[in-house]
Amino acid sequence: MSDPDTSALQRADAAHATLAAQYFDGQSARAQAVTLSVSGPTLLVRGESFVLDLAVRDVHWSERTRHGPRVAHLKSGGTLHCPDARACDAWLRAAGHTDSPVVRAQQSWRWVLASIAGLALLVTAFALWGVPWLSRAALHAIPHSIDKELGQAALATIDKHLTQPSALDTAQQQRVREAFARAVAAQPAGSVPEHELLFRRGRGKNGIGPNAFALPGGTMVMTDELVQLFDADPTVLSGVLAHELGHVQHRHGMRMVVQASLIGLLSSVVLGDFSSILAAAPVVLGQASYSRAAEREADAHCAAFLKTAGVSPAVMVGLFEKLSAAGSRSARDSNDAKDRAAKTDDPPSWLGIAIASHPDDRERIEFFRAAVTR
Amino acid sequence: MNTNPPSATREPRDHNLPVQFTGSGSEYFRIWIVNLLLVLVTLGIYFPWAKVRRLRYFYGSTEVGGAPLDFHGDPKKMLRGYLLTGALVLLYSVAGNFSGFAGLVAFIMIAALWPALFKSSMQFRLANTSWRGLRFRFKGDVAGAYRAMVPLFIPGVLILSAILFVPDEAKPPEWYFAFLGGVMIVMMLSAPWLWWNLKSYQHNHYALAQQQTELRSTVGAFYIVFLKTLGVVLLAVGVLAGVAGALAAIAGKGLWSPGAGGAFGAAFIAIMIGVIGGLFVVQLLPRPYFTSRMQNLLWSRTGNSSMRFRSRLEFMPLLGLTLKNWVLMVLTLGLYWPFASVALARMRLESVSVTTRVDPESLIERARAHEGEAAGDAAGDLLGLDIGL
Repeated sequence: MSDPDTSALQRADAAHATLAAQYFDGQSARAQAVTLSVSGPTLLVRGESFVLDLAVRDVHWSERTRHGPRVAHLKSGGTLHCPDARACDAWLRAAGHTDSPVVRAQQSWRWVLASIAGLALLVTAFALWGVPWLSRAALHAIPHSIDKELGQAALATIDKHLTQPSALDTAQQQRVREAFARAVAAQPAGSVPEHELLFRRGRGKNGIGPNAFALPGGTMVMTDELVQLFDADPTVLSGVLAHELGHVQHRHGMRMVVQASLIGLLSSVVLGDFSSILAAAPVVLGQASYSRAAEREADAHCAAFLKTAGVSPAVMVGLFEKLSAAGSRSARDSNDAKDRAAKTDDPPSWLGIAIASHPDDRERIEFFRAAVTR
Repeated sequence: MNTNPPSATREPRDHNLPVQFTGSGSEYFRIWIVNLLLVLVTLGIYFPWAKVRRLRYFYGSTEVGGAPLDFHGDPKKMLRGYLLTGALVLLYSVAGNFSGFAGLVAFIMIAALWPALFKSSMQFRLANTSWRGLRFRFKGDVAGAYRAMVPLFIPGVLILSAILFVPDEAKPPEWYFAFLGGVMIVMMLSAPWLWWNLKSYQHNHYALAQQQTELRSTVGAFYIVFLKTLGVVLLAVGVLAGVAGALAAIAGKGLWSPGAGGAFGAAFIAIMIGVIGGLFVVQLLPRPYFTSRMQNLLWSRTGNSSMRFRSRLEFMPLLGLTLKNWVLMVLTLGLYWPFASVALARMRLESVSVTTRVDPESLIERARAHEGEAAGDAAGDLLGLDIGL
């Protein structure tokens, strides 16, 4: 690394300047007092009973630091130690020795500040563009069969802990399926990804409420509670399914997994030395923000899908308002501490901006209102 | 040291060599940030250069009896090591995706290679470390490395082999869980012995000139440290249970919402928060406890007939420093890391001293140390094996 400076050292006329140092020959631990001087291309090391005649280009000085010793590694395996680092630096400068650009950057607060700015820029750019771009590229390489496996595993876990078989009768299920199938049929051929619709009932008293979600691989789950809440209007349920279909279309589930790995990789490079736990924090924060972006993408898909099917996106405005009303009722009933702590006009906890994985409801309502006239 | 008139007396007397750490947080911060940027910009290629710079700074700042340590590793050689080890790791992680059998074969291959790499790593690190111009040496042999490390891999091989006999991986039979539990219990009971076995291999083979160290500790002392740490862990778990209860009340209902990324992402986030919270409390208290007790045990029992180390690392100051580092790390989004690592190195190193009856000036090296392979050093780094010198 330190080769380029030797020529400058050779050029300098520092023959008259000497420096006191210690010489270790590499065989004995005894320190021998020496004086150093440079004459043309040679470094003279003068001891009590010996003189070493070394080629300057074979002497590798340690990088300049404000603390710590100045040491030179010699080709013979010996080393020179300068106890007085400042005198040594002055002597080396006089002899024409120059620091590498990296060392100059390390010693200058201006360059250090520039490095911090560069690092912040790099990390921001990586989070904003690098991660989404790389994960999209990775998605092309990941076969759909892996999405399916992941989805099946997730469904098994959900069935075990959160849901039980649907209590809806087949006619009710059929109405929802048919309404959605009509909307799908209205879409251009080939634009609708492979998907499957399942009905489930929430488990336990507080359950998962009126809810719907898509799993990696194309499985969409809708709860009985949601169907019952909107049974009068299958078009609203088609709207919900259109949103979920947006997640399927963009493979959001799989993308979350890929993105988590990417952020984890970067943060473990930067923070992993200190603590792998702290390195996981950016993954959590990153997921929340990417999750919000995914919701917006799915909403956009939903609006376009509904319009093609001849349904006004306004049905989604009704959906959010009704969910919001049902939610605040359940929040009043619930004795959950967090729900009570939430401001009264906040959406209910199961609408999920609690950890900000979803954009604010008002923002989404505005979006669908605007979509009506667009 | 150099002010002592050499060979003034031949009488054996005690030389006390204190360890002093002269590094500065702000200086290491400047080195770290510039090199981190270079590593990221070069997509990791620059890493060995950054690592050599870090080691030279930390070694150069560590003065033993007034003379600094020094690191001599060649970044180019180390880069080759990283590429080789990286390929090995890639091979291993790909193999696991194909089948259980391929995964087992890959694991056995790694287990077979690992001790040799470990020995190489120790050899490389020590041969490239010097004090007063003399290179250290690691005198352990390959057979010893296998004896020290093969027991560590046995549980993994057993578990991976057992999976081969499970017909449906989604629904493992009961005997599999019983087997798994049995292996876990044996592993936990033997952990102190495994650690002692490994540390003995390391501490029995450090050498400088004609001086070689040995670890004079019984397994019993290791069991005591592990048991005491377990007590601290139980204490931390008690604290954690309270925190987890509060967290569950907050997070329990807020997860499910219309939206796939939502459902999937929210579940993911909830799990991560749980994991982070859990590890936070479990690590924050027991880790500094274990670090201080184990360092004291290991180094105070390391030496030979004419020299010995002494380590007096206290738990409370280390806990205080750990807490301070954590808080500042979080507040500065990680930028405090170099300051934290310098402070930690100072506390851990300055608690150690060396007493020797041999005049350090009289040490003489007969043969140049063999360097070993840089690949070993890289393997230690990539797979998180700290040689902990």
